[in-house]
Amino acid sequence: MSQLTFAEIDRTVLDTLRPPGRSYWMVVGVLFLGVLMGAACWAYQIARGIGVGGQNIPVAWGIYLVNFVFWVGIAHSGTLISAILHLMRAGWRNPIARAAETMTVFAVCVAGLFPFIHLGRVWLVYYMLPIPTQRTLWPNFQSPLLFDVVAISTYLTVSALFWYTGMLPDLARVRDDAEGVRKRVFTVLSLGWTGAHEQWRHYTRIYLFFAALATPLVISVHSVVSWDFALGVVPGWHTTIFAPYFVAGAIHSGLAMVLTLMIPLRKIFHYERFISMHVLESVAKTIIFTGLIVGFAYGTELFIAWYSRNPVEMEAFRWRLQGHYAYGFWIMVVCNVLVPILFFFKRIRTSIPWLFGISILVNIGMWYERFVIIISAVGHDFLPNAWGFYSPSWVELGVMVGSFCLFFFFFMLFCKHLPSVSMTEMKETLVQGESHGH
Amino acid sequence: MATETQVMGIFGEERQAVDAVVSLKSSAEWPIVRVHSPIPSHALAEAMQVRKSKAGWYTLVGGIIGFFAGFLLAIYSSTSWSLIVSGKPIVALVPFVIVGFEFTILFAIFGNLIGFLHQSRLPRLQNLETYDPRCSGEHFGVLASCAPNDLERLTTFFREKGGDVQAFASSNPETE
Repeated sequence: MSQLTFAEIDRTVLDTLRPPGRSYWMVVGVLFLGVLMGAACWAYQIARGIGVGGQNIPVAWGIYLVNFVFWVGIAHSGTLISAILHLMRAGWRNPIARAAETMTVFAVCVAGLFPFIHLGRVWLVYYMLPIPTQRTLWPNFQSPLLFDVVAISTYLTVSALFWYTGMLPDLARVRDDAEGVRKRVFTVLSLGWTGAHEQWRHYTRIYLFFAALATPLVISVHSVVSWDFALGVVPGWHTTIFAPYFVAGAIHSGLAMVLTLMIPLRKIFHYERFISMHVLESVAKTIIFTGLIVGFAYGTELFIAWYSRNPVEMEAFRWRLQGHYAYGFWIMVVCNVLVPILFFFKRIRTSIPWLFGISILVNIGMWYERFVIIISAVGHDFLPNAWGFYSPSWVELGVMVGSFCLFFFFFMLFCKHLPSVSMTEMKETLVQGESHGH
Repeated sequence: MATETQVMGIFGEERQAVDAVVSLKSSAEWPIVRVHSPIPSHALAEAMQVRKSKAGWYTLVGGIIGFFAGFLLAIYSSTSWSLIVSGKPIVALVPFVIVGFEFTILFAIFGNLIGFLHQSRLPRLQNLETYDPRCSGEHFGVLASCAPNDLERLTTFFREKGGDVQAFASSNPETE
């Protein structure tokens, strides 16, 4: 890092925006086909009805909502890195902040699709909006589902504006390096930013406010998502621990996704001098922390179920550990709590293959956490005669694969068309470290 | 017709730009139009005696509007169809806090952005003539204005401070 100069930072990042090769477009093409496949599954569901999915009474919330919660969770670490760590002046966030913020925006976009898909009759989605309609009914703002509409749409708007505003100085840098149509496009995108002292004066101020406002927002959003469950009286859901438990889990999964995305990005774009081992190690250490919180939450849930002496609650959790979906429970415990403990060993948290492998396992574990919470609770609640099982249909799995393709499709397009590392923040890091190498 | 000339000293080091600004300020011979930097420079801001931004007021106003908008929307929606659900009051303030909170953040962010754009006078897609593209990369630019017959002296001044020089013609100078 000490040998870096402003020019080298610019050159490294701007080089990533050169026209890509055939292999890039092949990957983008494959991902696009995956998106089309997911869209086709959704179209099939619209044509045939929501019954083509596996969700039915008693498990009326299937993997569409598992994926919804999963993607909202993925979104959270972007805001943690860009806002909370910015307020804490954690310098290691700077090289990964841009990509993490981008991940947030795309993950919220993908997450936002799932309530639409789950709705079945998607053309009636406007019922959720507080607008006068022919129904002469207004949305019920006492419902946690309406909290969700407000929270997620606010989060998407705020994340997108935060992301774009933070990118303005870099867009101007790309504009000044470009020619022709590209220059005109980036002239519009950068809004005429010139780095004048008056612009910086307002920019630094509002960026601080962005961070200060995004921090409570990110905590509120996953708390609201958790209340979709916790405000219901279903055993396994109706618990006050859900909000902090969901927020910690969201950050846990998001940090794992940051590693999953950053490690290949670092290799492909030769970002090794920016995204140093110290940065990856810091993410790994944070994963230990969030993993321990999540583990504590799992333990607390089990303890309170036992301590309550409530037979329904005790049975719900016994079934979670030993019942039909016990494999999901144990996958989540191993992947989310036990595996990240390996990061206590420096040799493991400084090894790229280990970091990448563990990040994938945490992603899998966090998906299963949502599966366990959503499916096993409603599948086995109060009355034994109402118990039931759920397995996703090929339509739901197709939509799920399509959602992953959509996320990576967006991310691939972003990487080659916009600066994936903030040049401005990297330069600030250099100056703050007083290793300005001109 | 150009009645005044603007000259930009372009420096590779932040401290050179700060030095030039301090000298220009103390001599008061050539007014500084603006300075450009690739990063937010505290040293330059201090030398320019930059005041605290007022953009925060827009954020505050946005937040206050959002707080009331959220609550009032939820109350209006509930009272427009007074249907008691689960025995809860029609106007249930506790759940409405969530709507109010989210709207507070949303509108505060809108205010924040509007404040930034308004105060920074953005977007500005024209009038980039008195700007050097190097300033978004690795250089610091100090733009000062002078009479056309003083161009040589100002150029020499910037060169002595260690900078490269770029001259622009201007008939309607915008001073700090």
